[in-house]
Amino acid sequence: MTGDLAILGYGLSAIGPGVGIGLIFAAYVSGVARQPETRNVLQTIAILGFVLCEQLAIFGIALAFVFSGN
Amino acid sequence: MTTEVSAAEEFVPPSAPDFWQPLVGDGAFALTRTMVVMVLVSIGLAVAMMAMTRRLSVVPGRGQFRLEGVYGLVRNSIGRDIIGSAHFKPYIPLLFTLFTLILVNNLMGIIPPVQFPTMSRIGFPLALALGVYLVYLVAGVRRRGLGGFLKNLVPSGLPLFVVPVVFLLELVTFLITRPVTLTLRLFGNMFAGHILLLLFALGGEYFLLHGEGLLRVISIPAFAMFMLFTAFEILIAFLQAYVFILLASIYIAEVYADDH
Amino acid sequence: MGTIDNAAGVLAAEGGEGGFWQDAYPVIPHPGELIVGIISFAVLYFVYKRFVVPRLEAMLAERQRTIEGGIERAEAMQAEAKAALEQYRAQLAEARNEAAQIRDAARAEGQQIIEELRAQAQEESARIVARGEEQIAAARQQVVNELRGQIGTLAVDLAGRVVGESLADDARRQGTVDRFLDQLDGMSATDGRGGAVTVPGGNR
Repeated sequence: MTGDLAILGYGLSAIGPGVGIGLIFAAYVSGVARQPETRNVLQTIAILGFVLCEQLAIFGIALAFVFSGN
Repeated sequence: MTTEVSAAEEFVPPSAPDFWQPLVGDGAFALTRTMVVMVLVSIGLAVAMMAMTRRLSVVPGRGQFRLEGVYGLVRNSIGRDIIGSAHFKPYIPLLFTLFTLILVNNLMGIIPPVQFPTMSRIGFPLALALGVYLVYLVAGVRRRGLGGFLKNLVPSGLPLFVVPVVFLLELVTFLITRPVTLTLRLFGNMFAGHILLLLFALGGEYFLLHGEGLLRVISIPAFAMFMLFTAFEILIAFLQAYVFILLASIYIAEVYADDH
Repeated sequence: MGTIDNAAGVLAAEGGEGGFWQDAYPVIPHPGELIVGIISFAVLYFVYKRFVVPRLEAMLAERQRTIEGGIERAEAMQAEAKAALEQYRAQLAEARNEAAQIRDAARAEGQQIIEELRAQAQEESARIVARGEEQIAAARQQVVNELRGQIGTLAVDLAGRVVGESLADDARRQGTVDRFLDQLDGMSATDGRGGAVTVPGGNR
């Protein structure tokens, strides 16, 4: 079986952002459930947090291709 | 690359070279497929927008209503709410251009005759991010002057020995991290999404054409997943366009925030 | 990855430039694409800035104006209606006031008429009473005068007959009569007054 260690590394690096995004949206959902009227404000903040978290996963995929030995 | 799959008995997963699709020439200035898509999308958007805004009435029709919905999202929900009602007017064209261009280009990753996201070639997101980069740097320097702009990078009230470190970090953030993340986010999402779609499509095809016996059945869930992720890509296309202008307007808003 | 490695090897063997771009890291921007991207973006931005956004903004501004105009018109109408209502109310109040005034005036007038009539009647009755008294007094005076004359003659007559002497001397006779009558007056004063008082009492 052949493969690329960089891709495996990307898989590992995606765990962190995955947990982070989960936490962000968990907080968003419970926030909206408690106070539905704050939905619009929270939505922007949640997407912003999601984006900043996702950024790490994106770095990971970019670097995975950079360091993959092709 | 994809044509080789059917010939070869061995399954070849999609990878980065699949995104290199030159039409004419093969060098640094070769005419590639994404270039054509980008130019056509830009021309199409320009023509469509000109036609749609030719006769605007105070009481909107159906087409105008949809256009106003998109415009209102960019103008009010993002531009006005984030940059602030005092300064957002000059940035509306930038935000609206970015939003429509990214959205349509992303949707091109799904629409059949093209089915290749323009933004999965890093040159295009980089071009857009450079535009945003220029705008917020120029706006910042013009508002405070170069000295004031640099001074504003460091929050006031810090102990003196931390100041150089924070200054350096903020400078790196302003000059390097922001445009790079802006580029990479859009590029990465489109690139990864397209690879995922390719994987399901090619995998399904491989199992269907080269599988033996029951293995052919696996192609059915593979194609189902392909369709599911195609629908998911629509969401991603919209979300990435939204996020791009959201971040662009946050960077611009920082210029006008009086407190760091 | 085997095929890719093969392809890379083949392309590397060819030494063509395309090999580099095919196998280049996807994070390295292709210059041609970057340039096309910048140009398309700039052109589209120019079109939006020059035409699309100003048109939309103008439309939004006009809509804002129209809505504000509508609100203004509605407000003017409401104000007008309010003014009309005020005017109507004022008129109504005025009419009510006037009616009350008229009623008051009529009542006062009626009162006055009654008063006048009563005063007139009282005056009349007083006048009638006065005239009656006057008449009675006159009649009494007349009777008194007549009686004085007759009593004088009678008394002198009787006295002449009784005394037998002719009281020829007028002067003396007159004096005697007068003295007698005065005495009589003094005597009958209480009787005469009592009679005079009883007469108007009977009239009433």
